[in-house]
Amino acid sequence: MAVISKAGDARRQPPRRIEISQNVMHIFLLGMVVIAIFPFIWMVFASLKPFKELVESRALLPETWTLRNYEEILGRVNFYAAFRNSIVSAVSVTVVSVYTSSVMGYIFSKYRFVGKEVLFTIILSTMMVPFAVIMVPLYITIANSFGLADHLAGIIITGFYTAFGIFLMRQFMESIPFELIDAARIDGASEWRIFFTLVLPMSMSPMSALAVFVFLVNWDSFLWPLIVLSSQDKQTLPLVLAGLRNLWWTRYEMWAAGSMLTVIPVMAIYAFASRYFIRGIAMTGLKA
Amino acid sequence: MTSIADGSGASGRAETMGVWFVVKKTLRKPQFWFGFTMIVPLLIWYWIFSFWPIIQAFRMSTVAYKLLDPGNSPFVGLGNFIKISQHPLFWVSVKNTILWAVYSFIFNLPLAMLIAVFLSKVKRGRNVYQALIFVPVVVSLVAVSLLFKMLMDPEVGQLNKLLSTIGLPELQWLSSSSSALPTAVVIATWKGLGFFVVILTAGMLNIPSELYDAALVDGTNPWQQFWRITMPLMSHTILLVTVLLAIGSLQEFTLPTVLFGSEGGPGNSTFLYNLLVYQEAFLDIRFGTATAASLFQFAFILTISILQIKLIRPSWTY
Repeated sequence: MAVISKAGDARRQPPRRIEISQNVMHIFLLGMVVIAIFPFIWMVFASLKPFKELVESRALLPETWTLRNYEEILGRVNFYAAFRNSIVSAVSVTVVSVYTSSVMGYIFSKYRFVGKEVLFTIILSTMMVPFAVIMVPLYITIANSFGLADHLAGIIITGFYTAFGIFLMRQFMESIPFELIDAARIDGASEWRIFFTLVLPMSMSPMSALAVFVFLVNWDSFLWPLIVLSSQDKQTLPLVLAGLRNLWWTRYEMWAAGSMLTVIPVMAIYAFASRYFIRGIAMTGLKA
Repeated sequence: MTSIADGSGASGRAETMGVWFVVKKTLRKPQFWFGFTMIVPLLIWYWIFSFWPIIQAFRMSTVAYKLLDPGNSPFVGLGNFIKISQHPLFWVSVKNTILWAVYSFIFNLPLAMLIAVFLSKVKRGRNVYQALIFVPVVVSLVAVSLLFKMLMDPEVGQLNKLLSTIGLPELQWLSSSSSALPTAVVIATWKGLGFFVVILTAGMLNIPSELYDAALVDGTNPWQQFWRITMPLMSHTILLVTVLLAIGSLQEFTLPTVLFGSEGGPGNSTFLYNLLVYQEAFLDIRFGTATAASLFQFAFILTISILQIKLIRPSWTY
């Protein structure tokens, strides 16, 4: 059948009429793109408008361009600390959990030991437990046993392992042939060396996918930091940003400026690495 | 195979030898030490931060938790479960959460499927479209909440200005108890749609194009192609998306909290179940009833997920 379909005529003439035209699809997709990014573009300009203009004008572009909103918000709210806290927690959780996921994915795929399948199943099934179930006992553990209430470490340590990451990496490791690892063993490579110089370099693609996923989740994390972190200078960006609502009731130009400050860093990374983001999410979907 | 750790798989003989010999042999294996140093931290971490809290949750749900003297918390059996179900906002929050999930499905699934079908069929510009449609996923959820709160302000918001420019009546958006919840789900959809689009598009591009070529030769129309080829071959991906949607929307917390505050206003119309659990636990400090409430949620989400898997999972693979 593939042969017939490639023979030009049979494919081209009758079916063409009932295919959705490319133009229709382009118009629809362009519409979706506008809906997806227009609110964001509006916010960029809103953050550069004075309050009066923001609430009165209908124009997208500011009449008077101003950076005063940014000056004021940086003077009142410690965005630097929030930014540092967010970077520190999201990056350390990402680095550690991508590493642990790779190691455990490798071990669950290539090692044999008593109770392996049971352990793997139990770890996977913890994914089904809603966060609300463990949030109180987990908070008590963090606060009482570790003394980490209101410490950034309290939201970092809980992210060291992720069941989803272990699962994803194991799926990938299944595609690495045993022969390759055995060959390295025969050549006298230590287990550490096999993992770090043979297996890890081969796993860069799923690892970067997982890293993107974990980073986005943690950068946006709200509920758990809200429970653990209470003092202003310990809070992460989402918490500080949500606090703007109470600090400036309906001063929208401040909201816009604050939102921009939290959004710009990720958007800057996204502008250069959007391909990896998309591939990462696509891969998590295909593997799962 | 009785050895404890064994990577190369040549230990069948070990059974006939003494236990001590096996242990000694295992300890000499480099695989054992590598595995050991990696698995032990995993076990410790999972015990402290996952298994133990889950066990504790079941225990805590049956006691009247005493904050200052947890060891002496009196056992109350199912009392907490009865107490939370009598909470004045319990059924309100259950209703709101189910509504939220239903709206999520209606807004997300058909639109994400349509966009994914078009993306998989479009000949040029797929990557650019995908990258731009994905932008809201990258924008922080709290920023998204503030952004739409600004746009949807009934008096000075841009959306009402737009409506009045075209001559349409202005809307209350997030400010009236009848429209707040669906409007909030629209915002959640705006934020999350790109994620599902990417997953679905990847799944569709995985379908061999020969199938569509063959269908074209047989004279099918796009509608038939969608229902006879795309849908059946996509069932695994669709199952994943529906399970993720259900789990996510039944646990929604951030968006309603930032949009409306922890009371779930206006008129409790957006008071979701997770807000109830949070309120019980950390505002009213009733840990026992809070964990009881969360276990209800656990049971519900588990049931829904199993139902979805039973209903959607195909009995075959390809």
